[in-house]
Amino acid sequence: MINLSGVNTLDKGFEVSVMDGPLSGLRIIDSTTVYAMPTAMYILGDMGAEVIKVENPVASRVRAASVFPDNDPGEKPWNRDGGFHRLHRSKYSIALNLKQPEAVEVFKDLVRTSDVLAENNRPGVMARLGLDYESLYELNPRLVYFSFSGFGQTGPWKDFQGIGRMFELTSGVSQFTGYPEEGPRRVGGAWFDPPNGWMAVFAILSALHHRNLTGNGQRVDFSMYQMGVATVGDAILDYIANGRNGQIMGNRHPFLAPYGAYPCKGEDQWIAIAIENDKQWLELCRLMGSPLWVKSDKFSDGLSRWHNQDELDHHVGAWTSGYYHTKLMTLLSGAHIPSGAVMTAEEVLTDSHMKERKFFEEVTFPPKSRMGSRVYTGSPWKMSQTPSYIRRPPPDLGEHNEFILTEMLGRSKSQIDELYSLGAITKEPVPLPKPEPKKSEAELLAIKEKEVKDGTLAGYDPDYKSKLGMK
Amino acid sequence: MTKGALHNFRVIDLSSYIAGPFCARLFGDYGADVVKVEHPGAGDMARSFGPFFKDDPHPEKSLLFLYLNYNKRGITLNLNNSSGRKLFKELIKSADVLIEDFDPGYLEERGLGYGSLAAVNPELVMTSITPFGQTGPYKNYPGSHIVYEALGGVMYTSGASDRAPLAHGHPQSLYIGGVSASHSTSAALFARNQIGCGQHVDVSLTEVVAAHHTGPTTRYAYTGEIERRAPHNEAGSAKGGAHFEGVIPVKDGFVGATFQRGAGRRGTLADYLRLVGRPDLLEPEYEESLPAGRLTDEQDQLLLSVLKDWGKYEYFTTAASESWVAAVVQNSGDLANNPHLHERGFYTEMKHPIVGKIQIPGEIFRLPESSFKLRYPTPLLGEHNIEMYCGDLGYSREDLVRLHQLGAV
Repeated sequence: MINLSGVNTLDKGFEVSVMDGPLSGLRIIDSTTVYAMPTAMYILGDMGAEVIKVENPVASRVRAASVFPDNDPGEKPWNRDGGFHRLHRSKYSIALNLKQPEAVEVFKDLVRTSDVLAENNRPGVMARLGLDYESLYELNPRLVYFSFSGFGQTGPWKDFQGIGRMFELTSGVSQFTGYPEEGPRRVGGAWFDPPNGWMAVFAILSALHHRNLTGNGQRVDFSMYQMGVATVGDAILDYIANGRNGQIMGNRHPFLAPYGAYPCKGEDQWIAIAIENDKQWLELCRLMGSPLWVKSDKFSDGLSRWHNQDELDHHVGAWTSGYYHTKLMTLLSGAHIPSGAVMTAEEVLTDSHMKERKFFEEVTFPPKSRMGSRVYTGSPWKMSQTPSYIRRPPPDLGEHNEFILTEMLGRSKSQIDELYSLGAITKEPVPLPKPEPKKSEAELLAIKEKEVKDGTLAGYDPDYKSKLGMK
Repeated sequence: MTKGALHNFRVIDLSSYIAGPFCARLFGDYGADVVKVEHPGAGDMARSFGPFFKDDPHPEKSLLFLYLNYNKRGITLNLNNSSGRKLFKELIKSADVLIEDFDPGYLEERGLGYGSLAAVNPELVMTSITPFGQTGPYKNYPGSHIVYEALGGVMYTSGASDRAPLAHGHPQSLYIGGVSASHSTSAALFARNQIGCGQHVDVSLTEVVAAHHTGPTTRYAYTGEIERRAPHNEAGSAKGGAHFEGVIPVKDGFVGATFQRGAGRRGTLADYLRLVGRPDLLEPEYEESLPAGRLTDEQDQLLLSVLKDWGKYEYFTTAASESWVAAVVQNSGDLANNPHLHERGFYTEMKHPIVGKIQIPGEIFRLPESSFKLRYPTPLLGEHNIEMYCGDLGYSREDLVRLHQLGAV
């Protein structure tokens, strides 16, 4: 159902035309939580779809990983969490308490006018609310009903809870990852959350292409586990054909050397170098000033280099230690040797290449939120005709209750008032969390200092706002 | 079951190795007509990369290539040859998507840049997957998996702070790069219905990793704090992590354990000891729900000791059945034999002319009305030359021989 109500009338001075994004004209209900699916939903929102986040006011937005502007949760911490904001830009928010039948009716009205419903509720929850696929099909046979779960809707593990950071283990990636003498590790935070969201976008679009051809929606069954396993398919075939399991090799490569992270000048500074052929190796030797050791038989060919990696890495590391990482990267990459400085978040955010590509996007919040402006990652691809970009700031809880009920569903002011009085809609969490005592500057500084001392923080930059050009 | 959801699209896969071929295969998995175009002679570089079937390094036995290129037809084509370039433009006429991963400028130099191809077929969606994208100061720099994880910010926060930063030991950045390319390409096809033309999609693998790793960049943009990988933890359980969420050694392998029960709920240490059958170790204070912070060293040691006699699947299924979030470190053999994956229909048998019958990982998600199907086994190099050049493009067999002798195919 292509509806053309996607013109943004809410944010003054931020008018968006209907044909602007690749998915302009689509309406999507985001009944998902946590990480992977909210990621999928913000991508669809960045692409121009009208994404309506249906929030449960009883579930807390604020979680252990919350990050507040200057560590100040403020009076309404649920509207100030960067951990939430980064996953919920380009969305509208309606806070519906689905324990109220009137709220379920609002949900159903949204379903009648929407193209996609995405949900990652525990099995049985949607059926209990009367929002299972069969019931919603009656209301809108064109609906793509997207069910996302850890292990899918069938199979012996279907009822198990699954979260992204645990799937690195269960999906088989950790069998390769870690320091060799120590055992498997996880790398990159909740590794499988974003890619599952990304694959979910592909799956949703596939179902929409099917609908363009047939007119019919369907219920998609998506499991995080399978998406993760699909990224190690070549290794599974190695077992099936050769009986071989993965090995933990640190940063090393199964047949290329030198390949790894090498120390650079300064504290905890590193560069990744990947030598993929003889030509690159000879170029590296030249840049190193052709020292005597490179002439040894141990390093004269690729196979010998691979077998003598301990010694090789020692020599290469001794050379890289004399350089700053970004300077060395310019030298190596300029000579067509694959290399990359191991960058901190600050370095990624201020990198000249990322800047020229305008990869990071600045979002200005409404003045009353006192959030100022903040910077978020954009899309890792650019479309020449229908750009994706952050279309609206992350919404406050229930920020668009009135807009959605009035403009999209045609409810009257008195009907909306009644929904508020019933508690079917709200703008505040239920129950209201106890306000945390505001920490003084000195207390906040002491927390940072402790984290630096413990080693979990490399440092902190009081001038971060000006460095990122944020207001 | 109808045809696959994407069956009215033709995709030309001019890419190699992992990211581009995985992206193109996803289109083939859900019905698109994917034509894999390889350079005559060596073909896709994945053909020379392992692992290989029975450890026999033969270009038709690369398991990496076999895995990433089923559901495609395969032809050879030489873009350095004038007849080859003419054939390529003829192929482009009937294509909806072109996926390519050459260095920026390579196709332009051959008169095959986006502008030239759009002149042949304005509806073409061309997706270019490169280390750094088509623009910017690094655009001509070479890339590699570990380079993307370094520059995207993943490595600095992974591993232990007293050791070198750590990348994934398997080219994850390339697989997820393929996923990112697939949904942007699909969105461009969707937009075509509305705007009436195709477009160029410029994917940067470095940005793919940076777009993944949004936690530390957001934290810096909110607080100025620079996150780092955690210190090494001698106890080993938390592997330096902030919570009891590390990789824990058990009797026959490793498991992942957490205090999380469902979304946002946490169990207590007491609940946990009851779960693992050690109520004898209960202390009254363990009934308190644990704070979100780190465990004490004693609690850490306690948990390590109570888990060491468990089997990995015994622990995983016991904890997960009681709604605890848990994980099990599975290796390739575990995955090949996993009953859940088999019951879900994840594996499909493929009959390949050289390798024979082999079980391949297949369906990633289920579209019941238009689902995954193994339509073509992985093509041999140039297997469909006659079908494409003589059938689709209408060349005579004699001309195909001429094209071959001219080095075009």
